[in-house]
Amino acid sequence: MSAITTSRVKSALPWMVLAALAIAPSAGLTANIVRLLFVTLVWVTTSLAWNLLGGFAGQVSFGFAVFYGIGAYTAAKMIDAGIHPLPSFLAAGAMAAGSSLLVGVPTFRLRGPYFAIATIGVSEAVRVIADNLSITGGASGFRIVEHRPFRQLEHYYTALGLAALAVMVSVVIEHSKFGLGLVAIRHDEEAAADVGINPFAYKLWAHAVAAALTGMAGGVYARYAAFIHPHGVFSFQTSVYILLMPVIGGIGTVMGAVLGGVIFGIVEEQLVANFPNVHLLLYGGLLILIILVEPDGLVGLAGRLWRRITRHHGATDVAGPRPDEILRGTGGA
Amino acid sequence: MTGVDFLNLLIAALLLGGIYAVMSVGMTVIYGVMKIVNLAHAGFMMLGAYFAYELYQRLHVPPIAAALMAFPFFFLVGVVVYWLMVRWLPKSSQPTLASLLLMFGLWLVLQNLGYILWGNTDRSILSPMTFSVIHWGPITISTLRLVVFIAAAVCVAILELILERTWYGRSVRALIQNPYAGKIVGVDEAKTSRITFGLGIGFAGLAGALLATLYSFNPDFGRPFLLRAFVIIVLGGLESVSGVALGAIVLALVETFSILLVPAAYQTAISFTLLVVVLLVLPGGIASLVAKKRRIA
Repeated sequence: MSAITTSRVKSALPWMVLAALAIAPSAGLTANIVRLLFVTLVWVTTSLAWNLLGGFAGQVSFGFAVFYGIGAYTAAKMIDAGIHPLPSFLAAGAMAAGSSLLVGVPTFRLRGPYFAIATIGVSEAVRVIADNLSITGGASGFRIVEHRPFRQLEHYYTALGLAALAVMVSVVIEHSKFGLGLVAIRHDEEAAADVGINPFAYKLWAHAVAAALTGMAGGVYARYAAFIHPHGVFSFQTSVYILLMPVIGGIGTVMGAVLGGVIFGIVEEQLVANFPNVHLLLYGGLLILIILVEPDGLVGLAGRLWRRITRHHGATDVAGPRPDEILRGTGGA
Repeated sequence: MTGVDFLNLLIAALLLGGIYAVMSVGMTVIYGVMKIVNLAHAGFMMLGAYFAYELYQRLHVPPIAAALMAFPFFFLVGVVVYWLMVRWLPKSSQPTLASLLLMFGLWLVLQNLGYILWGNTDRSILSPMTFSVIHWGPITISTLRLVVFIAAAVCVAILELILERTWYGRSVRALIQNPYAGKIVGVDEAKTSRITFGLGIGFAGLAGALLATLYSFNPDFGRPFLLRAFVIIVLGGLESVSGVALGAIVLALVETFSILLVPAAYQTAISFTLLVVVLLVLPGGIASLVAKKRRIA
């Protein structure tokens, strides 16, 4: 396969996948499969969002559940009050983006591990507070009453639209000056600042955009689930999941984030159902294994295999995905 | 609040500060030498708690003795973990994405291993000392807390002495100040890192075991303390043992006296608020207030 055909296939692939997902429900899928696809699309959105900050800018957050939960509660409260879902989702994104400043402003000015540390703190603090506030329904949870008929396909297409938006945002950022700036910050923050990039503003914006997407994903999920509680949407587990997906797929690449989200979405429920006590243990083990053996995730693994195959056929041109040096290198966090 | 109440709270806060210090020094030395934020610290603290619990339940070892035995045990565990995983991480003068994710993964593994081995019920170590108190005039001190404080203070002091007086301590200080210059003058970075990681994990186990004598615990035991340890080492300026002692006392004072104003349920929020305030006002920690800053000493 020549390089030109490869790139043409690569640029057509997202549209083909989108078209396939758009017509998939009319192909007679069961309600359960549609639900699984819905959940997977929500996960893909959050995975892409985490990757914007963690993958591009190299800032590890252990607290994305905060945005997911804030989005979920914002949308839930508004839909419950009879407001149309669409503005509710937008408000969910805006609320999450606004709250991202709370962690970003004090920590992004500093280099070093402050941001990562603060995200663990904020997710703990927010869950404790959410547990004790009456507005969230406290530990007993919050039931959303939507005064509209439940149509599963409507939910499905909302999630599909959001995931497509997340992919679009990611691709646009990846190819923009902004995205290049983020990658520069990941490689060397001081050098980036020397060439006129404002690391503080760049990180703050990336964090806000990621939070907005995660918040909207939380809102879309909350409307579907119709019942949310702090130990679900704000849980530490949610943060772990959101961080794990892009790492599995291949950190720093849009393809990797999507791939990680898809695999996680499909496997997660089976894993929880079959190994209720050890699924987090498996995730932890997987994380260690990826970091030590294949830091570029599945995308890196695929690239390695692809190069091996092409070398075997005597080709010199390598057209497969190039592994990025994010986890191998010394990029800051 | 009467003067006696105030004095009692102050003593309680200082005793708590000692425990907080022993809990945070392990993270500090590892961060100082390797620039790794040891998120798995919480996991090793939890294992330390169960280590003391098992020794006490099965072999009737006194809890404080069990805690002191936890140190060498977890030192070895730390050396093994270093050899298996940590030494493969890319070296850097900044904490890397890879190191954060690796230690985080390790924490997940340890925590869930704890759930498999011991279930999620709360355990506690009740010894004859648990409920005894010392009366000294109007002042009341829990005997156990005093003993734990002494054990903690002695261990931190020994660490301080090792860092001050031994060749190993000098290598540690050299690597913290300037890794390149350190290597030029013959510091064995791999060996120093290995021992430091062992020490860090040893202190995590010791702290967990000491805390287990005071509080009930489950496999999620270390987490609330992890955030406190962060706050303390940020207060202390990230890389200094004496800074840690200071940070520990500050956090203990803030927590103890905030109970008068803030509901106990919001304790976690207090440490986080303190963290944000410190980052905004004093990013270099309390130590940065002192003009001639001495690191690790």
